[in-house]
Amino acid sequence: MIDLDFGAVLAQWPLLLKGVAFTAGLTLVSAVVGVALGVACAWARAWGPRALAWGVAAYVELIRNTPFIVQLFFIFFGLPGLGLRLSPEAASVLAMVINLGAYAAEIVRAGVESTPRGQVEAGVSLALSRAQVFLHVVLPPALARVWPALVSQIVIVMLGSAVCGQIATQELSYFANLIQSRNFRAFESYIVATLLYLALAVALRRLLNWAGPRWLFGR
Amino acid sequence: MVDFTLWDIVRNLLLAARWTVALSLIAFVGGGLVGLLLLVARVGRWPGAAGLVAGYVQLFQGTPLLMQLFLAYFGLPLLGVQISPWTAAALALTLYASAFLTEIWRGCVEAIPKGQWEAAQSLALSFGEQMRHVIGPQALRIAVAPTVGFLVQVVKGTALASVIGFIELTKAGTMIANATFAPFTVYACVALMYFLLCFPISAWSRRLERRLSLGR
Amino acid sequence: MAADPSSVGASPARDAAQPVVTIQGLRKRFGEMEVLRGIDLQVQAGEVVALIGRSGSGKSTLLRCINGLETPQEGDLRVEGRRLEPDNPQAMRALRQRVGMIFQSFNLFPHLTVGRNVLLAPGLVKGLRGAAADDRARQLLARVGLADKFDARPDQLSGGQQQRVAIARALAMDPAVLLCDEITSALDPELVGEVLKVVEALAEEGMTLLMVTHEMQFARRVADRVLFMHAGRIHEQGPPQQLFEQPRTPELQQFLSALG
Repeated sequence: MIDLDFGAVLAQWPLLLKGVAFTAGLTLVSAVVGVALGVACAWARAWGPRALAWGVAAYVELIRNTPFIVQLFFIFFGLPGLGLRLSPEAASVLAMVINLGAYAAEIVRAGVESTPRGQVEAGVSLALSRAQVFLHVVLPPALARVWPALVSQIVIVMLGSAVCGQIATQELSYFANLIQSRNFRAFESYIVATLLYLALAVALRRLLNWAGPRWLFGR
Repeated sequence: MVDFTLWDIVRNLLLAARWTVALSLIAFVGGGLVGLLLLVARVGRWPGAAGLVAGYVQLFQGTPLLMQLFLAYFGLPLLGVQISPWTAAALALTLYASAFLTEIWRGCVEAIPKGQWEAAQSLALSFGEQMRHVIGPQALRIAVAPTVGFLVQVVKGTALASVIGFIELTKAGTMIANATFAPFTVYACVALMYFLLCFPISAWSRRLERRLSLGR
Repeated sequence: MAADPSSVGASPARDAAQPVVTIQGLRKRFGEMEVLRGIDLQVQAGEVVALIGRSGSGKSTLLRCINGLETPQEGDLRVEGRRLEPDNPQAMRALRQRVGMIFQSFNLFPHLTVGRNVLLAPGLVKGLRGAAADDRARQLLARVGLADKFDARPDQLSGGQQQRVAIARALAMDPAVLLCDEITSALDPELVGEVLKVVEALAEEGMTLLMVTHEMQFARRVADRVLFMHAGRIHEQGPPQQLFEQPRTPELQQFLSALG
């Protein structure tokens, strides 16, 4: 007979709450900076100087073809070898930003490149500078077009952040591990944590689908 | 302290990388088979299947792969089954892959215009014949590029198996980094090896996609 | 002829001394294909010039050279006495504050309301903000007959209304010259009139207009001069009366008879 004791895990709800809050915070900060980085990269690839565009392409390929855990370990364990030592939290945010930035770069680029030429011509004909055309005419509709893909990617990064617990970042999976190491209820701990992640994923999607139209592209 | 050469590091990583490749292939093929079954169940409109499969997909796409690995590793022993990290990782990754692949393939099938189904039905073909001779081949053509692209995700996913103790490329990297006190070099090599595994697959997937859109 | 920097908001005056647009020997190629084969043209302030001709004759390309959307390979192109400098972004922006363009496919910004469409460029380029900007936008919209559409979105408007908003948007920058590139060609026939009415009013107010158009009746009534383009050159030009009733060249005769 399987003996499950969820009570022992749920009794630790303050720790779980702390973990949820930290994961949420980690994700939101990384999402804002990561998307901004992605937009900058998309601009660089579509309209920037050749060398920069190539550099961005290399960055994107590197990140998309290596696992997030390796990127995280490289930043947290590898960089100190060069004298750059980061806290677990800083390393986690940095890794998530760099990771999301690469995917966002591709997603936003697709949106930007699907801008009808007439829009750009109209903006240019109104004496707007290139930067103004990009920010005010091209970007908002482009973001609206690719928002579902961008939201999905942010959710993926949030789920991937579970790995950050491995370098002692105090997010949700870290506390799940902590709880199970104390009461030996590994299965129950992970079930509860998994359900919390699921809830976070749903909530995050709702939040982003509400926030995007409201703040970024006005529809 | 023993001095390690770069070649020592690389050699050991390459040995471990074999396991990365093995795990990736098993998960991808196994996941493909399960995913295909789920697809047929969903498309074939078996009662309740669509909802169940949708739920299954939501579960695997909405939760961290790390948690799925933990649950496989810690959950099965509760049923009295002794499980090694290898088995747990293979199981978890197979199910993970099956959820994503069935969703990708569903998209491809739904991309086929309804007129094709109607024409096939009007010719008195059975459902199985419709799938095999009309819808399947067309969906297959659309599916090749994203399926190949997903293989990259599986390879990257195997890196998480290191957390439950399975000795593949990432775990070997961690162990070697600790032994050599050269984490920068070691993790750089690890990243490079994943890159060499994944980049050709990604590039191939992109080429397939281009060829497809030109051929239409 | 030195140009003095025109101040923002100066209204175009009838000044026969200095042409607003001067073109000499303009040539433009797309790859192997030569689309403009030597254009010489002068447009005076307040003049209304209609460009007619078959598709492929280079009419739109000529227009697009004047505001820098296309760069010619050869030739001298001056607006208000200043040469175009395609490689100088500042200079091009300054040019585009003096030369406005209306497009065949309107190109309104779909994510902005009508009011914001009109206000965007004056706000960003001239720093015009706040209540003064709003008033200006409303005035311009009233001028094109759309005062009540300030908060509407472009996709809620008909084609004719969208084009009129596009005109108000271009006028908001106070240009000396308006380039109209087949602005009614994409409209349903019953919507063409409302747009042409607005253009006619602009002409009467003394705006310098260069229009590529297929609306021959309109050109006849409103234009001071008609240019017939053929195979990349200005084949014939003159007052509308003369061009439409006494076409001299066989190409123009053929073109006019094909129109029926």
